[in-house]
Amino acid sequence: MPDNWSFVAAAYGVTAIVLITYWWRLVRRERELDALRNRPERRTSRQS
Amino acid sequence: MIRTLGWLSVVALVAGLVMSFGVAPREVTQGTVQRIMYVHVPLVISSYVAFIVLAVASFAHASGEIGVMFIGLGIATGSIWGKPTWGTWWTWDARLTSVAILFVMYVGYLLLRGSIDDPERAARFAAVLGIVAALDIPLVHFSVYWWRTLHQPPSLMKPGGFTGSTAILWPLLVNLVAFVILYAYLTARRARLLRAEAEAVA
Repeated sequence: MPDNWSFVAAAYGVTAIVLITYWWRLVRRERELDALRNRPERRTSRQS
Repeated sequence: MIRTLGWLSVVALVAGLVMSFGVAPREVTQGTVQRIMYVHVPLVISSYVAFIVLAVASFAHASGEIGVMFIGLGIATGSIWGKPTWGTWWTWDARLTSVAILFVMYVGYLLLRGSIDDPERAARFAAVLGIVAALDIPLVHFSVYWWRTLHQPPSLMKPGGFTGSTAILWPLLVNLVAFVILYAYLTARRARLLRAEAEAVA
């Protein structure tokens, strides 16, 4: 049977792309929430 | 803790890649395409773990999301393996059909959780679906024994234990451990994010 390296690359590639994209989505959303929490007006309202 | 899990999963995944491409031999009948098994099998077994955890743990939503991603990738990698090996991307045999049903049920689980505004009601209704869907896991796993299927019997978790070469078993086990650690990391991170989102809304 031929080696079919392209199929191996496709399987590992698809897996890597999906996992990294999902991880990056989590990281970005966490940063957005952190930015939302640390907004200046919220800090001001807490201080007052 | 989550950061440690993250680095641990990176190290384990790199070790898994080394085992898959550096240590595991070229399989005699299938050739190089058999190396897809080192990612396909761990993805599917890790998704079983995710769905079982979903049925019993408080971080069910996070576990379900990662499980759906893993089983989706398991189906995709299996399909990519199937084309050169079986000559088709997909066939409606018992294993593939039951796993497709499993995937659709857990996508439904996530949709149900997302479609109800009250988080407690959403969790309660979705939990019922999650438990019912979990009943499909043994059906998927043993379908290759109960029906005549194109899909081969399981490599791991089968009656009588693993019967192949240890040169294939070790890469499979290392990758399985890597994907279970990755599952734990992503689930912990997603659960923390879900909590933060709930606090932000409140």
